[in-house]
Amino acid sequence: MPNWTRTYLHYVEAMNYRIGRFAMYLLFVIMAILLWSSITKITAFPAIWTLEMAQFTLVAYYLLGAPYTFQLGTNVRMDLLYARQSPRNRAIWDAVTVFVLIFYLGVMLYGAFGSAVYSFEVGERAASGWRPYLWPIKTVICISFVLMILQAFAHLIRDVAIWRGEEI
Amino acid sequence: MSYEMIAVLMFSTMLLMMLTGQRVFGAIGFVAVVAAILLWGPGGSDMGYSSILKLMKWNALLTLPMFVFMGYVMSESRLAEDLYKMFHVWFGPLPGGLAIGTILLMVMISAMNGLSVAGMAIGATIALPELVKRNYDKLMISGVIQGGSSLGILIPPSVVLVLFAQIARQPVSELWLAGVMPGLLMAILFVTYILIRCWRNPDLAPAMSDEERAQITWAERFRLLRAALLPITIFASMMIPFVKGWTSLTEASVIGALTAVAAAVLKGRFSREVFETATRSTLAITVMFMLIIMAALSFGAVFDGLGAGRAIENLFVRDLGLTAWQVLILMQLSFLVMGMFLDDTAMLVIVAPIYVGLAKALGFDLIWYGILYTITCQIAYLTPPFGYNLFLMRAMAPADFTLPLIYRSALPFVLIMILTLVLVMIFPQIALWLPEKLL
Repeated sequence: MPNWTRTYLHYVEAMNYRIGRFAMYLLFVIMAILLWSSITKITAFPAIWTLEMAQFTLVAYYLLGAPYTFQLGTNVRMDLLYARQSPRNRAIWDAVTVFVLIFYLGVMLYGAFGSAVYSFEVGERAASGWRPYLWPIKTVICISFVLMILQAFAHLIRDVAIWRGEEI
Repeated sequence: MSYEMIAVLMFSTMLLMMLTGQRVFGAIGFVAVVAAILLWGPGGSDMGYSSILKLMKWNALLTLPMFVFMGYVMSESRLAEDLYKMFHVWFGPLPGGLAIGTILLMVMISAMNGLSVAGMAIGATIALPELVKRNYDKLMISGVIQGGSSLGILIPPSVVLVLFAQIARQPVSELWLAGVMPGLLMAILFVTYILIRCWRNPDLAPAMSDEERAQITWAERFRLLRAALLPITIFASMMIPFVKGWTSLTEASVIGALTAVAAAVLKGRFSREVFETATRSTLAITVMFMLIIMAALSFGAVFDGLGAGRAIENLFVRDLGLTAWQVLILMQLSFLVMGMFLDDTAMLVIVAPIYVGLAKALGFDLIWYGILYTITCQIAYLTPPFGYNLFLMRAMAPADFTLPLIYRSALPFVLIMILTLVLVMIFPQIALWLPEKLL
């Protein structure tokens, strides 16, 4: 495999690993927010920002964490035929069908990007008591899909390497 | 091309894409966005993205990572071990006693957790090795764990009922209460089945020997009863604040998860390793479900845009001239068949909005329908080739539990679930009695 593929794998996978490990701990941020929310409900002034903040954090949690779960290989596949193949056949198969995934992620990114740009331009806010700006979470969504696409190409490189029987 | 043809084409393409072994969410999402773009041009491309914003507003989904985390804390720190020992001591002397104990353990786990993943994880790490050691029949072991853990989505708290509540716009508390009696009924039927099988063929499940029984003192037996405090505490810590209206559903699930952590810490079993595995697995499972729900929502939106709900209603009621009950049975049957081949969570998200609308139009009680739906979902978890419990069982069990064995072992439990489904259909009061009594 050409040298650049190795560099690409190294940087993309290291980056997604770190971001994913960071996202993994957002679980406890969600817990803290919701716990704070139930505490303030006892007082006369329940917090108005907690629910939306928890929603935003959940989105960041599962989208920023997604590329890391691709690395872990935990996204379910229907393995009726797939599991019976040799590792090489699976790699060849994956190297083709990964474009299905990349296309989907690309369309998602396209939509996310348009929506984020709109948010920036008009200073869009959520329609709620707290009225937070929406561009931060929409930016996070865009970044997540870029990272997922980068990770999908990393899998493509690995599969092609197995296909050609090369170490990588 | 007619809309019906497009719908059929979309479903068959999705099935084909899944068979390639690509990640399920990618396959569903791909078909959804391609169909949207072909049907509505570039404007259709937003259909995929908008499902993220829609999902963000489904507050109840915040409970998903909490329940997953709680389940992993309990299985990784082996918190349920004492509980299992309790059932072992009390039911061990019966033929098939430990299998019955496993079902009861699953009922208790179901009362703490809203997913079947938790029951599978605990069943595979705690119950399975013990059952193997005692020479229980492998078909029996595998069936009991898979069937029992599926109760997680019927007995409250239940994430599937939360999703259903979101889709059908029905109160979660009422749906949860409605799930109690059908869940217990199903558990009783499971136990009856085990008793009959083991009574006719004691080799399937050897009882505890007399010597071993003599070694256990009555003092010990009663001491082990304290293990039942754990599920009761966790259940109460979640349910009381929620039912009393002190906290929302999502906040209650956080309290439940933290109670499980506190119990593990008190027992001195909350190690770094437990923390790491639980946190990482929670991310993995949550991402898996969220991405599938996200893709399925886009798929469902395209379907809705095609007017699939109206088309199915027209087909069933006007063209075929079916009665309300025939339509209901047909809906359940079609869901069962689809649940075999397609992803179970995706099915829920895609098909539920259409069927719920239809059930409402036909004048059926939606709380009751939600329970029927959940039981159908349980069956879908256990029917090959695509069932979550089958996958989990294969991933968690030792290698001599082969895939054909796992498939075969689920069959009797699927039949019992179908029996429960039919009973709840004929006698809606099984589901509706408790919410009517309490609310």
